[in-house]
Amino acid sequence: MSTTRLQEVLICFGKQKQTDIATANSGTQMWRFGKLNAALANPKLNTENDTEEFGKGHEFPTQSFQTSWDVSGTLEKYLGAEIAAWAMAFGLGKVVKSGAAPNFTYTCTPLMPANGDAAELPYFSFVEQIRPGAGVVLDRMAVGCVIESWTITLGSGPGRANSRIAIEFAGSGKVTEPSGIVMPAATLEKLLPSASLALSIDGVDYVSNKNIVSLETGWKNNVRMDAGFYPGSGFQTAGDATSGAIRGRLEFGNRQGTLRFTARFESGSTELTKLKNQSTGTAVISLTYDANNSLEITWHKVSFATAEVGETDGIVTVAVECLPMYDNTNGIVSAVAKCGVDSICQ
Amino acid sequence: MNERNTVWLRPPWGEGEPKEFDPRPDVLVPLLVAGWSQCEPPEVKEDVHD
Repeated sequence: MSTTRLQEVLICFGKQKQTDIATANSGTQMWRFGKLNAALANPKLNTENDTEEFGKGHEFPTQSFQTSWDVSGTLEKYLGAEIAAWAMAFGLGKVVKSGAAPNFTYTCTPLMPANGDAAELPYFSFVEQIRPGAGVVLDRMAVGCVIESWTITLGSGPGRANSRIAIEFAGSGKVTEPSGIVMPAATLEKLLPSASLALSIDGVDYVSNKNIVSLETGWKNNVRMDAGFYPGSGFQTAGDATSGAIRGRLEFGNRQGTLRFTARFESGSTELTKLKNQSTGTAVISLTYDANNSLEITWHKVSFATAEVGETDGIVTVAVECLPMYDNTNGIVSAVAKCGVDSICQ
Repeated sequence: MNERNTVWLRPPWGEGEPKEFDPRPDVLVPLLVAGWSQCEPPEVKEDVHD
């Protein structure tokens, strides 16, 4: 008897956004990537029973009900220009596409409902397949997913693992089985290695002074999952009230940006002074494959929330946690992602 | 995006006419934060002469 090994799992997801939460991406709107983590985006069916109800004559359940569906997953990858552009566009929510092949530029910012933007993030469909077709093991599509968070980590060392991205996503609960999607060819990725980093934080160039050790930056949408269920939000099977409720919207909650880094600490290092002064400045993080494939993230106003002197491999270092703040002109964060792929989040 | 490598944005709340901008981050980011959104270029009406 054959076994199924997880190396066989194939994933693809919407490169383009869905037209609405309930309308799945078509196969031609999707792209395929490999990933590093084993976890699958398992749909979870929540059930209830009648234990608490009176009139049965006893305290035991006699019936079980399908009540709602959850879908969530994580995508861990070495950081490449394509996945970076996708994560910025879908994760922040607002995007302007410019340029032409092979240099498409996606300028991304968070949505601002106070200025007329939606509170719903762009939706995509997420497909997992293992031997689709006659010998299918797994073939399903989660419809109406949004990015809950992305985290980019950069470390010291020569390997690809020193530049990674982790993307958490959550879905409406709608699942289509079989997916009906023909898995596209794998996307050719242009990696953005940590050795390509350019980094300036509050006026200090941490690459030219050779002091940066590691860095982590991220964005979390804190999606209001429960608010997705409202009267009329719908069911897993349209018109079948026994099939379990699904969400009709996925709105971001109180969003948070993060930036923390560790740098060598030496005479003249300014981190502790900046902490005491609570000075503010921009933080610009750039990673480059070539002129057509890059990522630049700008936190437009940061101060240092904590700065602790410690050590890394016997070298005195300072670990700094920044506080990203809202700048009245440029907002909190923007990302400029360049790659050769058209129509991301369009 | 168009042949001149500019982008068209519509004003916040969809009120007003779309405008054309350079796609530089220092131009786009303040506009996006202020509520401008990318849109298709407006249709150009051809002049028809008899």
